[in-house]
Amino acid sequence: MIVVNYVAAGCVFCIGLFAVVARRDVIKIVMGLSLMEASTYLLLVSMAYRRGATAPLLSNPPSGQTQRDVVHGTVSDPVLQNFCLTAIVIGIAVTAVFLTLAVRVAQHYRSVDAADATALRG
Amino acid sequence: MTNDDGLSRGFRQEPHVQAGWHRPWLGGPLVLAVGALILVGVLALPRENAALPVIARHAMEIAVPVWGQAEVVSEIVYGSRGFDTFGETFLLLGAVAVVLTLSRPREPRSEYVGEASEGRAEQRRLDPDEPESGDERKARQAESGEESETRRIRMSVVVRVAVRTAVPLLAVASVYTAAWGYTPGGGFPAGAAAAGVVLLVYAALGHRAVRHVVRSAVVEPIELAGATVIVALGVAGIVIHGSMFANVLPLAQPLTILAGGNAQLYSGAELVEVATGLIIAIFSLLGMGRDWTIHDDDSQQVPAPQDEDQ
Repeated sequence: MIVVNYVAAGCVFCIGLFAVVARRDVIKIVMGLSLMEASTYLLLVSMAYRRGATAPLLSNPPSGQTQRDVVHGTVSDPVLQNFCLTAIVIGIAVTAVFLTLAVRVAQHYRSVDAADATALRG
Repeated sequence: MTNDDGLSRGFRQEPHVQAGWHRPWLGGPLVLAVGALILVGVLALPRENAALPVIARHAMEIAVPVWGQAEVVSEIVYGSRGFDTFGETFLLLGAVAVVLTLSRPREPRSEYVGEASEGRAEQRRLDPDEPESGDERKARQAESGEESETRRIRMSVVVRVAVRTAVPLLAVASVYTAAWGYTPGGGFPAGAAAAGVVLLVYAALGHRAVRHVVRSAVVEPIELAGATVIVALGVAGIVIHGSMFANVLPLAQPLTILAGGNAQLYSGAELVEVATGLIIAIFSLLGMGRDWTIHDDDSQQVPAPQDEDQ
């Protein structure tokens, strides 16, 4: 029933998206973006899961198995686990930049309401 | 009431509570439509009984013979997809550069947090005879982690002793994680743990405990040194084997500290990059808070400096 994880990841993504498009508070917008990022972690790790699989580790094969058995047997997908690590680092970088912008907006406009940040309005 | 009381109260006014909704009647249906698309997409994804993709099986097969790595995720991060990790690392470096630029304080500063201490150094240089005022003393006490008007609750002795006990263990664990490479990602989680060590010390013991380490002249050169190692590994792969990040170091016996060739050096450089990047980003953000004073938009109450144009 890994599809439950997929649907949960989609729900978390939609909650984050709703915060981004429907909230005016820049801190909540950044929180929404973080939720959207977190949903991708859940999706990637869930997609890497295989029923009855072992971890993609060749150092200590399960009892009764050799390293070769692990290589050709049922293991979790290591490529998607790697994607998850990549997504986490990029998520941290993006969140740091957005939080810095949010603090600067708050300092400049004395407000975290995106509707007050109108300096670039044409 | 002191200025510090006013500052604290100003922060507690929570200006964001007034920021309301932006066209939820439009955003709601839009999100529902996107959600429906996502639902259709995720229902078509491979399930838990699907065969492992060819690329994943290939990574399993080459991990030990080609890269000398028994940890397949680390082999992919620093071997098969080393170029992708390179891009990701420099995205982090770029983000740190953006944070540094956006958070740049008004006055030159050698530390990310610590304008009060910088002010004391400047005052000592320009006007050593002027005594320290009460507000300045409170600001410096708050900055150093001592009890003051702006930091009423000092961390208890339990927290401080716990942190002093845990920090050496965490520091060793982070280096161990990267050095032996048996953890997925190696340098990434190790770097995050190393940054956590510094943050724990700062939170429990105050700015004074980390000020000799967390300063531009120390952290930024270390971060650039880590980036230089990664670039050098990539260039060496091109020069020696005609492929960026191809392994150029001898492969030691798997499950030893030198196993993995390039991977261990790459992982160590990632530890440095992630740790210093997180430290710079977080302390830059913490330092920005110090620039927000309650008098900034109240120029009528604050007389302009007499020698501003001199």
